[in-house]
Amino acid sequence: MTSRLKKITSLWITTVLLLFVISIILGITMRFNQAEVIRLSPITFYTDMTVHGLTMIGIWFVAGMAAVNFIMERYVKTSKFVNILALVLTVVGVLMFWASTFIGKFHAGWTFLYPLPFKVMWSAWATPLFLYSLAVLAVGWLIWCISLIAAMLKKYSITQVFAWQYFKKGPKEETPPFILISMITLVGIVTCLITAIVLVVLLFAEYYSKGTFVNDALLMKNLTYFFGHAIANEMLYLGLAVIYEMFAEISGRPKWKTTWYVSLAWNCTLFFILTAFFHHLYMDFVQPEGLQILGQLASYLASLPAAGVTVFSIVVAVYRTKINWTLANLLFFIGVMGWVVGGLGAVIDATISNNFVLHNTLWVPAHFHTYNAMGNVLFSLGFFYWFSVNFSNSRHSEKLSALKLFLLIVGGIGFLAAFYIGGADSIPRRYSNYPAEFVHAKTLALIGGVFASIYLIGILIFFVNITRRCVKILFSQSA
Amino acid sequence: MHYSILLFFLIVAVISISVFVYVFLTSKQSDNNTTGMANPLQKRFWFILILLVILGIFASVTIPKSPYYLFADEQPKAVVHVAAMQFNFFMSDSAIDPKMPKGEDSITFNTNELVEFRVTSLDVNHGFAIYNASNKLIAQTQAMPGYVNRLRFKFKEPGTYHIFCLEYCGMAHQLMRTTFTVK
Repeated sequence: MTSRLKKITSLWITTVLLLFVISIILGITMRFNQAEVIRLSPITFYTDMTVHGLTMIGIWFVAGMAAVNFIMERYVKTSKFVNILALVLTVVGVLMFWASTFIGKFHAGWTFLYPLPFKVMWSAWATPLFLYSLAVLAVGWLIWCISLIAAMLKKYSITQVFAWQYFKKGPKEETPPFILISMITLVGIVTCLITAIVLVVLLFAEYYSKGTFVNDALLMKNLTYFFGHAIANEMLYLGLAVIYEMFAEISGRPKWKTTWYVSLAWNCTLFFILTAFFHHLYMDFVQPEGLQILGQLASYLASLPAAGVTVFSIVVAVYRTKINWTLANLLFFIGVMGWVVGGLGAVIDATISNNFVLHNTLWVPAHFHTYNAMGNVLFSLGFFYWFSVNFSNSRHSEKLSALKLFLLIVGGIGFLAAFYIGGADSIPRRYSNYPAEFVHAKTLALIGGVFASIYLIGILIFFVNITRRCVKILFSQSA
Repeated sequence: MHYSILLFFLIVAVISISVFVYVFLTSKQSDNNTTGMANPLQKRFWFILILLVILGIFASVTIPKSPYYLFADEQPKAVVHVAAMQFNFFMSDSAIDPKMPKGEDSITFNTNELVEFRVTSLDVNHGFAIYNASNKLIAQTQAMPGYVNRLRFKFKEPGTYHIFCLEYCGMAHQLMRTTFTVK
């Protein structure tokens, strides 16, 4: 493992954690505004909302990518130049995006659903700057993904990298689960990033045509959610690739191996994840009914490989087995639990007849915050913790572990419960202030904000400890 | 409040969390002599099969209840045209002119009569969400520029129903609303 890769990974971790703390504060500010504890103008609220959403998606995507890139070096040689280029383009893209929002007041939401970006309610330059920031991020990440795929294909054949040899009896070559999952995930990410680039090109085409070219709203919505759904889910799978590699190692257990059912599950996942996005368009009744039904079936079927293979494997690995429990593998284990609970909320909402009364209520942020804040974040924190302790020659500091976990779990449950109850109570999402009809909305927002603050305290302790160790790695002579 | 959905979620979430906690506790009590799960492959097979059957039952029960099939074989008694526009809803018995949108001051339906809402947008995407007198979301569709979504519904209870926009549409999204009456 080269010291340069450790330094780049340390930089990624520090950047992600810093942006995470800022984004949580924006989230808490929104909940307190909804509770009327503080007063923001609606424009400031929706600007915060746009920054919070896209920054969170971006940082947890790159967190998974940085972890996958670091571990992939165990199997194949990856490009340090591309890794740094991705970091530079991510920082540049985020700064451009923040300029368009914080200065230009662009506030079309992180999904920038067409044609909202063109109904300018902000500085006129903010729309093109926002679109250019997306282009910078998408191109940087696309180059990174393609570089990692190319690195794997230099060593493994197509059959091997997708682990198709396990469908025959007595496979001669082995494919590590990490390589299989990384490949499946990166192919999915490349597909969704190409879609994002098509989307941005279509938006630019309309922007520069001065009214002579107009996009189709239904097509744009399909493209938007294909991209948005895929990236939000694929970033979780990057975290799972890390777990497949690291859980057994950290636990002092034999390394996991690919089998025919692991291969089958992950190959199916690629298909399901790219077709489940139709569930975002259930309430667009003009969408062909066949695609709506496909959306529900793909959403249901996506849970089979996830639960039957990944979750079951974690259960098998832990059940009645002596494990060296550390903060890292505990975070992985609790993260899988959070992913399962969020997945249950998602499957409920992916049922068309439920979506009829849940779509765009607080149920939506409820379920995706569950598998992000209590799932994906914990996957990455587990990796960050292991990485920073392992390579900074620090003594294991498990003193605050129980406190950190307590704050994350208690804060997380309270903050999510306020969302779920609000969703079942039909309270709309993305409202800067609640109309008087929603009698419980303000109280729930207050409860959500208070518990999210408890979660933030837990994250701040992680931030201080991990960043301190990462800075040590960054400035060490031989990391 | 959609209690049944929340209750169902809570039950399955608590069961799942209990399994994880139990599995964790068995690990904490294990030593080098304990031997993990017996026949994991067989158990995995049964787990996936049971899950598949449960999901199959759920899909076959819920898909026919999808809003696309609501009252599909009946003729609507009332047709209402809805045009959403930042940050208003126009509702009218007759077609709405996109250049000069105008709606009725008040819209009234009878209980149990089949109403068809023909919903579109004159600018960005909006939501058209119907809340009953207890402020419970009972039906919705999207208002999309260039398309008309047809939502059919029968209102069983008389009273004032609220419409809220449920698709984020800009800085006054939270103020975008209207009402109709069922007598």
